[in-house]
Amino acid sequence: MKLPRRDNDSEIPTSSMADIAFLLIIFFMVTAVFSATKGLEFKLPKDDNKPPEQEEAVFVKVAADGSVLVDCRPMELDEILAYLEPKLLRNPEKPVILYTDASAQYKSMIAVYDVLGMAKVETHGYKVKNISVPTQSEVQEYIQLFGFNPFESQCG
Amino acid sequence: MRLKKGTKAPAIIPTASMADIAFLLIIFFMVTTVHEVDRTSVNLPLAQSREEAEKGSAIVVLAKDKFGELYYMFSDGTNMSHTVNGPQDIYHEVSAITYRDSTTQFILKADESVRFELVDELLDTLRKADAQKVLLLCQQATVNRG
Repeated sequence: MKLPRRDNDSEIPTSSMADIAFLLIIFFMVTAVFSATKGLEFKLPKDDNKPPEQEEAVFVKVAADGSVLVDCRPMELDEILAYLEPKLLRNPEKPVILYTDASAQYKSMIAVYDVLGMAKVETHGYKVKNISVPTQSEVQEYIQLFGFNPFESQCG
Repeated sequence: MRLKKGTKAPAIIPTASMADIAFLLIIFFMVTTVHEVDRTSVNLPLAQSREEAEKGSAIVVLAKDKFGELYYMFSDGTNMSHTVNGPQDIYHEVSAITYRDSTTQFILKADESVRFELVDELLDTLRKADAQKVLLLCQQATVNRG
């Protein structure tokens, strides 16, 4: 006896593919995080105990309350670059010492460091190349050398 | 004259392209997902002139917990970050890395409200451990155009 032949359509079942795909999407969406991978570059001096070189520098002090003194003059953040411009155009290698009070907030120091880093040759015609941020052990070395903290006594 | 009844079209939502869209989204998330070695939640300070961190940089974290207590974490850039006791531990970890490669970049991820002396202590620790390149991790500050 000849069996009747059934015509079945040959197809790949894809009905659950969308479910799997959306599950994967949900997994990646849940595990994805917004990561901060940018910041301000900071060059540390070598720990070689060399005596400090004597050179006239611009002295920027961040006080405990976050206020800023540039060469002992109180200044707003947006005034700093205008003050530095003629000095750095004359001498592009002029060092800038950024001294922050120990009890000041980290963000106050970053705000000033950020302003110094904003000067670009393309836009401002100069760049602050030599930013020195003395650490406490360096300050101690200066105290041993001079007998007092030159950064604290700088502005009287 | 009586109009003929229209042919009955089945009421279905076309879902043929849904799988394509879903797979495009999957590819997007797969490409953009990065393996992070540190997921500590830190209120970073704001800055405008930021630079991209080098891949594989070691991370030093100084963060505050929900009670305002400070804690330190460290990652060598390949393994997940772990809690360390303080600058002394960080010194040993950093020294081990700089001994192998002195050009390694160290990302300093510190809470914006910590006292500068703590950050200063960490910078001093990194300097003593012969670290040369440090990146102070910051959030993007909105540019004031007013």
